[in-house]
Amino acid sequence: MLETINLSKSFKGKKVVQDVNLYLNNGESVGLLGPNGAGKSTTISMISTLIKPTSGEIKLNGVNTIDKPGEIRRISGVVPQELALYQELSAYENLKFFGAIYKMTGKELEKGIQQALEFVGLEARQKDLVKTYSGGMKRRLNIAAALLHQPKILILDEPTVGIDPQSRNHILETVRMLNQKDGTTILYTSHYMEEVEQLCDRLYIMDHGKIIAAGTKAELLSILSTEDTIKVELNKLDETFVEQVKTIEGVRKVEASHLQLKIIATKGSNLISKLVHLAEQHHLQLINFHTETPSLEDVFLQLTGRTLRN
Amino acid sequence: MRSFIKKDLLIFWRDRKEIATVLILPIILVLVLNFAFAGLFSNDGQSSLDLQLAVVNQDDEAEAMVQLNEKLVNEASIGDQEAKALVKQANDVHPVQLLFEFLESEDLKDWVTVHKLEESEAVDKVKDGDLDAILIIPDGFTADSLYAAFIGGSPATSLEYKLEKETNNSSTLYSIIHGFIDHLNYQFAIQEIAGTSEVEVKLPEGGFEEIGAGETFTMTQYFTVTMGVLFALFLVATAATKTGVEIREQVFNRILLTNSHPMQFLIGKMVSTICLVLLQIIFVIIVSHFILDVFPNRSMTFWIGLITMVLLLSLALSGLAAVFTAISLRVTDIDAANGIFMLVILLFGIIGGNFVPIYMLPDWLQQIGEWTPNGLFLVMLTEWIQFEELSSIAKPSILLTGFFLLFTLIGFVLFPQRGKAK
Ligand SMILES: Nc1ncnc2c1ncn2[C@@H]1O[C@H](COP(=O)(O)OP(=O)(O)OP(=O)(O)O)[C@@H](O)[C@H]1O
Ligand SMILES: [Mg+2]
Repeated sequence: MLETINLSKSFKGKKVVQDVNLYLNNGESVGLLGPNGAGKSTTISMISTLIKPTSGEIKLNGVNTIDKPGEIRRISGVVPQELALYQELSAYENLKFFGAIYKMTGKELEKGIQQALEFVGLEARQKDLVKTYSGGMKRRLNIAAALLHQPKILILDEPTVGIDPQSRNHILETVRMLNQKDGTTILYTSHYMEEVEQLCDRLYIMDHGKIIAAGTKAELLSILSTEDTIKVELNKLDETFVEQVKTIEGVRKVEASHLQLKIIATKGSNLISKLVHLAEQHHLQLINFHTETPSLEDVFLQLTGRTLRN
Repeated sequence: MRSFIKKDLLIFWRDRKEIATVLILPIILVLVLNFAFAGLFSNDGQSSLDLQLAVVNQDDEAEAMVQLNEKLVNEASIGDQEAKALVKQANDVHPVQLLFEFLESEDLKDWVTVHKLEESEAVDKVKDGDLDAILIIPDGFTADSLYAAFIGGSPATSLEYKLEKETNNSSTLYSIIHGFIDHLNYQFAIQEIAGTSEVEVKLPEGGFEEIGAGETFTMTQYFTVTMGVLFALFLVATAATKTGVEIREQVFNRILLTNSHPMQFLIGKMVSTICLVLLQIIFVIIVSHFILDVFPNRSMTFWIGLITMVLLLSLALSGLAAVFTAISLRVTDIDAANGIFMLVILLFGIIGGNFVPIYMLPDWLQQIGEWTPNGLFLVMLTEWIQFEELSSIAKPSILLTGFFLLFTLIGFVLFPQRGKAK
C-alpha cells in the first residue's frame, strides 16, 4: 500500500538518504534497521510528510503523497524519535488537544483518549503532568498520541531508546498487539536487532543512507548460509598470526578482540585443522573454539564490515 | 482553533513562575516605586510637583505711567488730555502685583513656590538645580500691558519663561500663566468699555481645567501603566519562547501531521496573546488602583476608554507575537532567535519610555519612542488621563491599529506555509 521509489535527501549537498526503495503491504510489520546516522529518521520524516525529499517518490496506493500529504497524514500515526508532547499538560490534556485538532469531538474523542491510554497502560496517571512522568511513561504516551485517530499505518522511530527493560517490553508488546489484533501496518525503526527480529515480518537494513539488504529474517540469514562463523580463543594473540589466518583458503573476514578471533569462512573449508596447525607454528594455544549459528548482527557485520552498535 | 487557544492559555496557566512574574511583580514594582518616589512629591494624593519658580521683576512701576503716557500719545495718536485721563484711570491697576497675587494664590499654592530674585541669581540657582524655572517680567511690562488693554491689542512685550528641563508640570504652569495674562487683558478691555473705575481682576476659577491643562498625570499613574505595559512586552517574549519549545520538542511537527492548517497555530498564538495581555494589564491596573487609588473619581467613560486602549495594545502585541512565531519556525537556532526577541522587547521598552518617563529622554529618542506600540500606548494613555478627549487619542489609536495590521501581515508572510521550511 505504501512504497518509496529512489527516495533521496541531501542536506546542504550532503547525501543523507540515497535511492531508498521500500514498500509496506497492508497488515505487515516491517523493520528498518541501521546504526546511528544511517538516515532512518530522515527516511521516516519523508514518508510521514514532515520533510520534502530531494528526489524520488512516495506512493500511497499508487498516489504520490509528496504534493498531496493529506491522505497519508490521515491514515498514519507517527511516533517520533523525540518526545512530541506538552510537558506542562497532563496526559489527558495532551491527548485531548491532539485529538481535537484531528477533528475528533465529544464522545468519540473521549473514547479515543481512554482507549489510547489503556493501550499504553497510562489510564491511572492520566491527570498527572507529563513532566512528572518517567522516561518510559513519556515514551508510552508519545505512542498513545499517535494512536488516537486509529491509524492504519503506524510509523515508529526508535520508540524504545533510553528506557528501562520493563517499559521497553510493554512497548514491544503494544506494537505487536496493534499489528496482530488490529491489523495495523507497522514500520518500526530501531538499531536494536533483537527488537526487529522479534516484531517484524520483514526488514530493511540501512547504512550510510542506503538500503544494503532487505527481506525476511530467513532470507537475510541465507546471505550467511554459505558461511560459518567460528569463534576462537587463544592464550596469546599476535599480528602475524591474525594476518596469516586471513590468508587461509575460504576465510572471508577476521575480527580480533582481546584474545578472541571471530572468523567468517565459506562452509566446509575445514578450517579447524588448519587453525590448529597454524597456532602450533606460532606457539599459540587454542583454549576454546565454537561454531556459531549466524544472527542478523552477523549479517550486518558481513555486509558492512562493522558491528551495528558503537 | 479553540483547542489551540485553550492549549496556549493552559500551558501559560501551568507556568506559575511566569504568572507570578507578569501579574505580581509589576504590582510590587508599582508599590515600591510609588513609595520610593513619594517623597519627591506633595503627598496630597494628587502628587503634583511643587515647582520652585524664580520671578525676576525688571519692570520699573514708577516709570510705568510716564511710559504709558508716551505710548498713548506717540503710538496711538491720542490727544494729550485724553491720554492723561486714561493714565490716571490706569494708576489704580498694577499688573505686576496682580501677577504675583495670582502666583501666590490658593489655587497655585500646591503647584508653585515663588522666589523673587535678580536675574543673575535666578540663573545660577536654576543651574544648580535649586530652582526649576524662571519667569522674567521685562522692563515696560506694566505700561505695555495697560497700553494693550486700552487699545485692545496684545502686548508687545511678553513674559519670558525659562526652564532648565521641560516637564509636564512646568509646561502646564506656563500655559496657566499665559491664560492668566490673556484673562488680565480681557478684564481691562471690559473695564474700558464699561467705563467703571473700579478695577477687579478675577482669577481664573475652578483650578486648571478652564485653562486647558486638564487633570495632572501623576507619577503613580505613570508607574502603574508603564509596569503593566513592560510586563506585557515580556509576556510576548515568553510566548515566543514557548513557541520555541513547541518546535524543539517536535509538537509542532505532530500538529502538522494532524492535517490541521498550520495557520491555526499562528492565529491561536495571536488570540492567546491578546487574552493574556488584556488580562495582565487590566489586572495590574485594577489591583494597583485598589491599593493606591491610582485613578481617583474617574468616570465610566474614562475606564471604558482605558480598557479600549489596552485592547488596542494587546492587538498590536499579538501582531508582534505573530512575527516572533513565524521567525521561530524559520530559523534553525531557536535559542539565538529567542535572545534576539528579548533584545527587541527590551529595546521597545527603553525607547517606548517604559523604563524612564519618555520626556526624560532626548528629543530624537522621544520621537522614535512613539514608533513603538508600547510608546504609542503610553503617549495615548497620558493624553487620555489628562484630557479624556476622543480627539486627542484618535491618531494614536489608528497608529496602534496600524501596528497590529503591519505586524500581523509580516507574521503571515513570514509564516512557513508547509510547516518548517526544509
Ligand atoms: N536537518 C538536518 N540538517 C543537516 N543534516 C541532517 C539533518 N537531519 C539529519 N541530518 C544528518 O543526516 C544523517 C542521518 O540522520 P538521521 O537522523 O536520519 O539518522 P538515524 O538513522 O535516524 O540515526 P539515529 O539512530 O541516531 O536516530 C546524519 O548524519 C545527520 O547528521
Ligand atoms: Mg533517528
